[in-house]
Amino acid sequence: MRVSLGELVGAGTRALTRYTGTLLAVFVVQTIVVTSAMLATAAVLAQVFSHLPIWDDAVDGDLVSLVTCVRFAKANLFACGGIALGAVLLWQLASWFLVGGIYGVLAQRPEGRAETARCFGASGASTYLAYARLALCAVPGWLLVVFVFATCTNAVATRIEHALTVWDLLGPLAIATLPALAVTHVLWTVTDYARVELALRHESHAPSVLATYFRTVAFVIKHPLTLLHTGLGWLGFLVITLGYMYLANGHPMFGAEGAVTLFVIRQGVSLARMALRFGVLAGQLELGGTRPLPPRKVDVKAEPKTA
Amino acid sequence: MSRRPGIVVAGVVLALAGCGHDHGPPRVKNLPKPELDEQKKPILLPLRGGSARSTRIANYKIDARLDAARHQIAGTETLTWTNTGASAVDSLPFHLYLNAFKNEKSLFMRTTHGEMRGAHASDSGWGWIQIDSLMMGGVEQVTKLKAQDALDETVTELPLAQAVQPGQTIEIAFKFTAQLPEVFARTGYKGDFHMVGQWFPKIGVRVGPPGLEHWECAPLHANTEFFADFGTYDVTLTVPSTLVVAATGVLVSATESPGGTRTLTYRAEDVHDFAWMADPYMRSTSGFAHVEDGSVKVVVWYRPEQEAFATRHLQAAIGAVEKFSQYFVPYPWSIMTIVDPPVDAAMGAGGMEYPTLVTTAGDSVFVRPNMRIPEYVTVHEVGHNWFQGMLASNEVEEAWMDEGVNEWADVHVMADLYGARTSIIDWGGFQAETGALRVAITEDPSSLPSPIATAAYAFVDNDAYGEVTYGVTMRALDTLEHEVGGTRFLAAMKAYAKASAFHHPTGRDLYTSLETQLGTDLAWFFAPVFQQVGGMKLALRSASCRAAHPPRGVMGDGAQKKVVTETEAPDAGAWECDVVVQNTGVVHVPVDVELRFADGSTERKRWDDRGAGAWERFTINRSSKLVGVRLDPDNKLALESPIVKQYRLDGDGAASLRAAARAASWTQTLMQLVGP
Repeated sequence: MRVSLGELVGAGTRALTRYTGTLLAVFVVQTIVVTSAMLATAAVLAQVFSHLPIWDDAVDGDLVSLVTCVRFAKANLFACGGIALGAVLLWQLASWFLVGGIYGVLAQRPEGRAETARCFGASGASTYLAYARLALCAVPGWLLVVFVFATCTNAVATRIEHALTVWDLLGPLAIATLPALAVTHVLWTVTDYARVELALRHESHAPSVLATYFRTVAFVIKHPLTLLHTGLGWLGFLVITLGYMYLANGHPMFGAEGAVTLFVIRQGVSLARMALRFGVLAGQLELGGTRPLPPRKVDVKAEPKTA
Repeated sequence: MSRRPGIVVAGVVLALAGCGHDHGPPRVKNLPKPELDEQKKPILLPLRGGSARSTRIANYKIDARLDAARHQIAGTETLTWTNTGASAVDSLPFHLYLNAFKNEKSLFMRTTHGEMRGAHASDSGWGWIQIDSLMMGGVEQVTKLKAQDALDETVTELPLAQAVQPGQTIEIAFKFTAQLPEVFARTGYKGDFHMVGQWFPKIGVRVGPPGLEHWECAPLHANTEFFADFGTYDVTLTVPSTLVVAATGVLVSATESPGGTRTLTYRAEDVHDFAWMADPYMRSTSGFAHVEDGSVKVVVWYRPEQEAFATRHLQAAIGAVEKFSQYFVPYPWSIMTIVDPPVDAAMGAGGMEYPTLVTTAGDSVFVRPNMRIPEYVTVHEVGHNWFQGMLASNEVEEAWMDEGVNEWADVHVMADLYGARTSIIDWGGFQAETGALRVAITEDPSSLPSPIATAAYAFVDNDAYGEVTYGVTMRALDTLEHEVGGTRFLAAMKAYAKASAFHHPTGRDLYTSLETQLGTDLAWFFAPVFQQVGGMKLALRSASCRAAHPPRGVMGDGAQKKVVTETEAPDAGAWECDVVVQNTGVVHVPVDVELRFADGSTERKRWDDRGAGAWERFTINRSSKLVGVRLDPDNKLALESPIVKQYRLDGDGAASLRAAARAASWTQTLMQLVGP
C-alpha cells in the first residue's frame, strides 16, 4: 500500500484533534520536570547570588558582570548544568514510556478519558523494556555519529579556525556538521519506526528488538518518505524555535514577573513543538502500519514419542 | 541519471568548502619607491635641540640575502659598539636568539615545552643561527666564542685579549647564517611568508652604576623578551623579486639585482632592534597620523583576503600613534609599519613589537565588527613603541615595565578611540570597556603567588607571568591613577615618559618619577602592590539593622527600680545599623563605602585603613532601613574584583529565577530533541 506525505500529515492532524488531552497530559509531565529543574536551578543560583546585585546586571546582559559572575561561581554553574543534564536524562528514560503510550493510544484508538489513560499506561508499560533495549541497539549508531562528526570536523578544523568571512565559514561548517546531522536524522527515523513496529507488533508477534532495529534500517532506506516526513517535522521544530528566538530578541522581561511571563511564553512554544512531534508520531504510525508483518514466533511442542 | 543529484550535491559541498585562499604563483613585484628623500622625508621627525635622541651605543650595518626556498639568511654584519660605562670590558656577550629553536635542549624549548600562545613548534622546521666568522681588529676570533651554557646556545661570549676601555669604540665584523624556524614564537616562516625577527648576532647591554657595570645578556626563556641598546641600523636586504618587504625604519634605496633578486636598503635611527617581513602576496594600505612634530606614515601590510581587517588595523594604528603621542611623547620616527600575518601564521608571528614595525593579529570571522580584538592587538603593539621602543626597559628582569604599563595605557587609548563604555566590545547588545573586561577575565591578584616586580623567568608558570605582568600591573596603575586623580597621574606618567625616553628606565625610576611628579610618598602603595604577594581582600563582613527604641529592661535601683517594657519604650520608627568592612590582604588603599537605604537615599563613608586595623565598623542611625552596601562605588579599585563590591541585605532571587527560566527553556528544547 502506498502512503503519501499528505496522508501522513493528515494522520497527524487527526491525532491532534482527537487526542488533544493525551498531548496535554504528556506536556504537563514535561512541564513538571522542567519546572522542577528550573526551581532547582534558581535555588542553586540564588544561594550564591541573591545578595549580589552584580548578578542582576549579568542576567540583564552586562558582559563584564556576566564574566565576573561566571568566574566567581563556576561550581554553582556546573551544578546548574548538572541539573539540566539530569532533567534531560530523566526525560530520556520517561520518553520510552511516554512514546509507547502515545503509539498505543494512536494505534488502538480508545474512547473516553479513562479508557485512553488505561490504554496509554498499558502500552507504555508493555513496550518500556523493549524501547530500553532499542536504545541500546542504537548506541553503535550514535557512536557512528560521533565518529562522523569528529572526522569531518577534524578535516576542516583549520579552515574553520582560519575563516575570515561568513562565506569562508559556511563551507567547512557544512562539511563538519551536515554528514553527522544526516546520519543522526537517519538514526532518529529508524528509532522512531522501530518503536512503531514494537508498539504495533509487540503483543501479536513479539519481535526481537535487534531484528526489528535492523529490519527498520532496511525499511527506512527503502522508503525515503520516512526520512522526508520526519525531516519535515524537525524542520518545523527548528522554525518554531528560531521564530521564537527572533521574535523574543530585544524584548527582555525584567524582574520575577518577567521571569514567570517568559516561562509561560516559552511553555507555549514548547507545546507547539510537542504538538508537531505528536503529529509526526501519528504519521509514523500510519506509515509503520503498512509494513509487512514480522515473522511470528511459534512455539513448537514436541509430541512425546509413543512406543 | 540517478547519480546526478549526488554529484550535484557533492559539487555544491565542495564549492562551499572552498579550496582555501589561492593566490596563484608568486609574481615579480614593482620595485618599491624609497621612502627617504634626504631633504623632504627624514627618518626622525624634527627634534628640538639635536638630531640623535639616544646614546647610540650599538650601531649595526647588516647585509643579508634571503634564500626564500630554504628560509635561510646569509649575512654579514658590522657592529660598532662603544663602552659608555666607567669600567673596562674584558668580554663581549652576543645574543643568538634563533638558537632557541635549534633543538629541545635550549632553555626556551625546555620552558615552553614546544608550545607558546597557542602555536606549536614544528618537528621539521627547526631554526638556528651560526656565526661563520668574527673579525675584530682584522683578526679572526670565531674559534674563541664560547657558549655560556652547556645546553642553551642563545648566548655566546667572546673573551677579549685586550679590554675595551671606557669611552673606547670597537668594530666587530660577523659573517653568519640564520635558518628561520617554521613560525612558532614571533619569528620564522609559514609557507611563503617570512617574519624575520631576532635574526642576527646582537650584543648585550651593560647595566649598573658607574664603575660597577655588568653585562645583561640573558638566554631566551619562555617568558622573557628582549633588551638591547639604542643605535642606528643600516640594513641591506637582498630578496627574490617576487617578494614584497616591510622592515624597521625607512627604505632608503631599492635596486634590481642580478638573478631575479632586488636589494633594498633600510635605515633606522635610535632604535634597539631590526625586524622585517617578506612575502609574495602581501599588499599595503596606508594613512597618516598627525603628531605634535609632524606626520607619521602608517602602513599596514596584509594578504588580500584580510583587506577588511587591514582597514580596521590601519584606523587603530593611526589612532594609537596619535593618542600615545598625546599622552606620553610624540612618536619620533617618520613611519609606523604594521604587518598583519597570514591567518595560518598569526598564532606564531602575530602580536609582536619591534621598533617602528609591529605584527598584529585577531583576524577571524568570529571577531565581528565592533568586537575590537584586532584593534586592541594593534593598539597594544603600537603602544610598545613607547613602552619598550622608546622607554627601553629590561623586558627580562622587569617585563611589567613594558607589558603592564602599556596595557594600562592601552585602556586609555581604546577608550578615546572607541568610547569609554564600548571600547572593546559593542556587538549584539553586549558592551564592554577594555579595562573592566580585563579585570573580569584576569585572576584575582590576591591568589597569585608572584608579585608584579618579578623577573619574567622567575614566575611560577607562564600563566602567572601573563596574569601578573599584564593584568595585575594594569589594575595596579589604574587603582593608583584613581587614588591620586586621573589628570595628575597622566601628567606624571607623561613626565616619566619624557624623562626616560631613549633610556633604559627601571621600576625604581618609575616609582621615583611618580613620587616626584605627584609630590607624595607612594611607598605605602608601591611596596605591597609591586613587591608583595597578597593583593587586596576587601569584603563586607556583616551588615545588619535593628529597630531603634529607648532602652528597655530594669532601670534604677531600690524604690526607683522599674521595668521598662516594649510598651513603655516602643520602636521609635528609626533604625540602628551596623556595617563591618574588612580587608585581609596586604594592599591597603582608602575605600569609599556607600550605604543605600530603603527610602532611596545614600550615604558615603570613607575608610582609610592605611596603618589602621584590617576592619572598620560603621554605625548608622537613620529613619530608613539599610538595604544595600557598596564598597568602592566609583570602581576606583581595579585591584579588587567587582564581585565583592556590591551587596544587598535582603536576598532577591528574581534574577536567579530569570536565569533559571532561560536555562529551563534550553533544557526543555534538549528534552524535546530526545523525547516527545
